[in-house]
Amino acid sequence: MAFFKRLVKRQRDGTYTHSFPAHIPELLVGLGDQLDAALDEDSPELRRLFPTAYPNDKEKDDGYQIFARDELIEGRREAIRSVRRTANQEVLTEEELGAWLALANDLRLVLGTRLDVSEDDDLVRWDDPENDDPEMALRRIYEVLGHVVGELVDGLSSGLAD
Amino acid sequence: MGELTTAPIEVEEPEADVLVEEDLPWIVIVWNDPINLMPYVTFVLQKLFGYSKEKATKLMLDVHEKGRAVVASGTRSESERDVHRLHGHGLWATMEHND
Repeated sequence: MAFFKRLVKRQRDGTYTHSFPAHIPELLVGLGDQLDAALDEDSPELRRLFPTAYPNDKEKDDGYQIFARDELIEGRREAIRSVRRTANQEVLTEEELGAWLALANDLRLVLGTRLDVSEDDDLVRWDDPENDDPEMALRRIYEVLGHVVGELVDGLSSGLAD
Repeated sequence: MGELTTAPIEVEEPEADVLVEEDLPWIVIVWNDPINLMPYVTFVLQKLFGYSKEKATKLMLDVHEKGRAVVASGTRSESERDVHRLHGHGLWATMEHND
């Protein structure tokens, strides 16, 4: 038996309901708008969204990037558009909820890159009042997005075969 | 990979690592990174490749503990498609010729 209440639940008809507070989809839409505007820029903060496929072969990787980058940008824009359309819905299809997950994870990748997150950061308490990190607000958003990703994965995993 | 302490993963004894078939020359590798959460990586491997929870969890743990795992193999175009799908889901994936 689950001890904590799940925020994302699969229904018998295959759709999903969620009980995120309203500021969560609002956060995704707001940050999604910022990501949308940044996607055409060649920013190092976005590098995790467009990895190399052939790290030891620049010629092959250039060929991969020619087709992959535009498609990866368009896929991410489609997720952002989907989240905008469905932000006020309490019932979502698997595909719609998958777009929430995709966007939340993309935002974590960008924020985590900007914050230069490392494995050791798991040990740091960002809510410690003694912590005077100037990027505290971003770190809190990063933590919130982690919980959102966790809840969405938990809910969507119930639609997968074991 | 980031830990998600509220969602612990049940881990079975790992099976032998026999995912790469000898006659398939390209392998797709997922690398460890400090951002993607462990349950997310497992979920993506299940969703994209149809792996069981057990197999996807084993591969995720290989990524986390060994730094990398071979998650698929095939022709160059098949592997490129797999890498592209993994990139679309934010995983750090590369491909290389399996000499």
